[in-house]
Amino acid sequence: MRVQVEGWHAVGTWTWNAEDDACGICRLAFDGCCPDCRIPGDDCPIVWGECSHPFHMHCIVKWIGVQGNNVQRCPMCRREWQFKSS
Amino acid sequence: MQRASRAQVTDKDKWNKPVGEPAKKRLRTLTNEQEPLNSSVSSSEKMETDKDGISASGRNLPSTRPQIGENRAHPKKMIISLKKEKPKLPETFEEDTWKKLKMSVHAVHREQPVEQSFEELYKAVEDLCIHKLGPNLYSRLQNDCEEHIKSEIESLVGQPDDATIFLETVEACWQKHCNQMSLIRSIFLYLDRTYVIQSSNVCSLWAMGLQSFRKHLNSAPEVQNKIVSGMLSLILQERSGDMVNRSLLRNLLRMLAQLQLYSSFETAFLADTESFYRQEGSDKLQDLDIPNYLLFVERRIEEEHDRIGHYLDIQTKKPLISKLDAQLLEAHAQTIVDKGFEILMTQHRIKDLQRLYNLLLRVNGLSNIRQAFSAYIKKTGVEIVMNDERGLEMVQDLLDFKARLDELLEQAFASNDELSHALKDAFETLINARQNKPAELIAKFVDQQLRSGGKGISEQESELILERVLILFRYLQGKDVFEAFFKKDLAKRLLLNKSASIDAEKAIISKLKQECGSSFTNKLEGMFKDMELSKDIMTAYSNSSVTSELSVHVLTTGYWPAYPPAPLNLPKEILDHQEAFEKFYLSKHQGRRLTWQNSLAHCSLKATFRPNAAGRKELLVSLYQAAVLLLFNGSDELSFSEIAGAVGMDDKELRVTLQSLACAKIKILNKSPKGRDVEDGDSFTFNSKFESKQLRIKVNSIQLKETQEENDKTTESVFQDRQYQVDAAIVRVMKARKSLSHTLLISELFKILKFPVTPPDLKKRIESLIEREYLERDRDSPSVYKYLA
Repeated sequence: MRVQVEGWHAVGTWTWNAEDDACGICRLAFDGCCPDCRIPGDDCPIVWGECSHPFHMHCIVKWIGVQGNNVQRCPMCRREWQFKSS
Repeated sequence: MQRASRAQVTDKDKWNKPVGEPAKKRLRTLTNEQEPLNSSVSSSEKMETDKDGISASGRNLPSTRPQIGENRAHPKKMIISLKKEKPKLPETFEEDTWKKLKMSVHAVHREQPVEQSFEELYKAVEDLCIHKLGPNLYSRLQNDCEEHIKSEIESLVGQPDDATIFLETVEACWQKHCNQMSLIRSIFLYLDRTYVIQSSNVCSLWAMGLQSFRKHLNSAPEVQNKIVSGMLSLILQERSGDMVNRSLLRNLLRMLAQLQLYSSFETAFLADTESFYRQEGSDKLQDLDIPNYLLFVERRIEEEHDRIGHYLDIQTKKPLISKLDAQLLEAHAQTIVDKGFEILMTQHRIKDLQRLYNLLLRVNGLSNIRQAFSAYIKKTGVEIVMNDERGLEMVQDLLDFKARLDELLEQAFASNDELSHALKDAFETLINARQNKPAELIAKFVDQQLRSGGKGISEQESELILERVLILFRYLQGKDVFEAFFKKDLAKRLLLNKSASIDAEKAIISKLKQECGSSFTNKLEGMFKDMELSKDIMTAYSNSSVTSELSVHVLTTGYWPAYPPAPLNLPKEILDHQEAFEKFYLSKHQGRRLTWQNSLAHCSLKATFRPNAAGRKELLVSLYQAAVLLLFNGSDELSFSEIAGAVGMDDKELRVTLQSLACAKIKILNKSPKGRDVEDGDSFTFNSKFESKQLRIKVNSIQLKETQEENDKTTESVFQDRQYQVDAAIVRVMKARKSLSHTLLISELFKILKFPVTPPDLKKRIESLIEREYLERDRDSPSVYKYLA
């Protein structure tokens, strides 16, 4: 062996692994943040429902709040909203 | 006064004695006493008499004294004796006394010794006044004096024309008049203090003298004119640099002031001054350069102040100086500034500029200075900004220029507010005279300062420099351009660990935050946060896994500059690590996708060139270089196409990488045929004869650095971002106004947008918004837009 790897310093970038580009509620990009936040990233995360629709966490929480006592539904497919468990 | 009141007391006593007696006795004393006037013996004897008027030893009233004493004891007797006799003056009393006084007055006028003693003369006046003969005495004296003054002044008529001689004559005449009048006033003091004070429309003896002097001077206009013109010619001589008799001028001017004729001189003097300086001002401006002209003006002003101090009346000061300012400065303010300002600025002559500022400030010349100042800054600054050859030094040049101007402003212009505003405005104009480039260079300059491997300057110094750079930044309009470049450089510093000090980095971020608000620095702060998070992830990872060879920075895409995808077939050794980490990361953070930025990665390799100790080296290389080098583990010689097929890199990137390994100073690979550039048919072998004194060798990758292309990309991405800002601004305006004409919308947008835009750009964005159905054109008038809700 002439050359061996001693150390490796790598750089990776992460993005949300969502199928859509934009949040179905606020229509803002997942790469960005919801309208109430200023800084994208960990502070404004994305969540998935059992129906596998992604939203900004802040957006869907607000949406669920508006639903009141009714059954909470996904705004995209009208199925009952359940956070996808990790 | 004491003496006078005592005299009155004695007088009352005298009225108590048989009347006629005292007067007679006194007369005898006055006429008979023959001692010379200035004999001290006589006057002291007299004094004694006065003091001891009551004592028996008095020569004047030896026999009456005891009677008085008795009378006081028996007042009734005194009343009876009063009735008996009436006081009476000799007929010739007034004439005689006046004659005597007149003789002395004449003697005074002729400047001859006065025959009688002053005491005696004083007494004579006193007596006349006591007997109510004051008015007569006054008018007689007035006539006499007036006659004398008249003849004196007439003697001035027809004197030689030579100014100095004539003025000296006048001065002597005045001096004489003053001396004589003061002597006369002393003699007639009693008159001055009783009759004059008691009568309302009579002026004091001194004033009477002045009055008649003035009257006769007025009736001899030739003399008066000659005095004035004589003085003016003396002053002219002095202004031309000759020595003149200043005390002569002072005395004559005091004379005019006392005679209340000063204003006639003043008017002539000011007119003369004005024309003199008008002439001299334009002459000197022709002959002298500006600094010398200013020196000359300063000297002139000083001289005139001196003149006021020495002989002119203080009330002349204001009009005189204002004439001077008007003729020497105000009339030429523009010329002075036009001709001199720029040169002085260029040569950085603080003293001269200070003089110019102080002088022009006297005549409201500040606006002239301000214009020239700002024109100069713009001209010089734009030259610096437009200079393509200087490149990065432009920033340093600007900083030096700014520092120089600040120094001037403080030292020469007394930190004048208006001028410092002008400085700011001018800098804003000049730095934005060229689009984008200044912003880019300022960002680069900051990068240079913050990067490690410093140039031996202390932390404070570098902080000071950054502070000053930020002032330039403040003037920038294209702050987004700066941000883009700054971000790119910051990313490089952070990822390649090239930052000199994290504290300095944070300090500058917080300064930018102060300057532009947190939205400007959010992403920059996010970058620092990513660095911290990466550190945490690595700690967690190394706890869960055995490999310590790996360190990864995981970046949040939105914060960092966009990196183009860089395809690379990773060597197996690395790929395993990468996959292991990716699995670990995604298990921690769900819903994420990790993209590897190969262009930013680097490796340390252990290379064995020869089996002995000297043949083992540690190489610090980029991931690209590592990928290429690792290929040589399997084969001795590889052709370009073989390498290209194995690594799957971008062709251009591969050539650069090979060049860095085989053609630079440090040759890890041998290339055949030899040459600087990598061609398609080249083949490479591992250089087993590689020698180096160092154990750790950093192989510089041939710059991935600022190619023109990269810069253009950054600039372009800035423009892309600007489009969104323009869109947002248009929508904001239209949402508020609902409907707006094209021109109004454009002008509104110019107000809002902080970076330079052109109307065609805006038009394009409006078109695009119409397409996307944010807006529509009004059906009736196509130049009006309507907002679509």
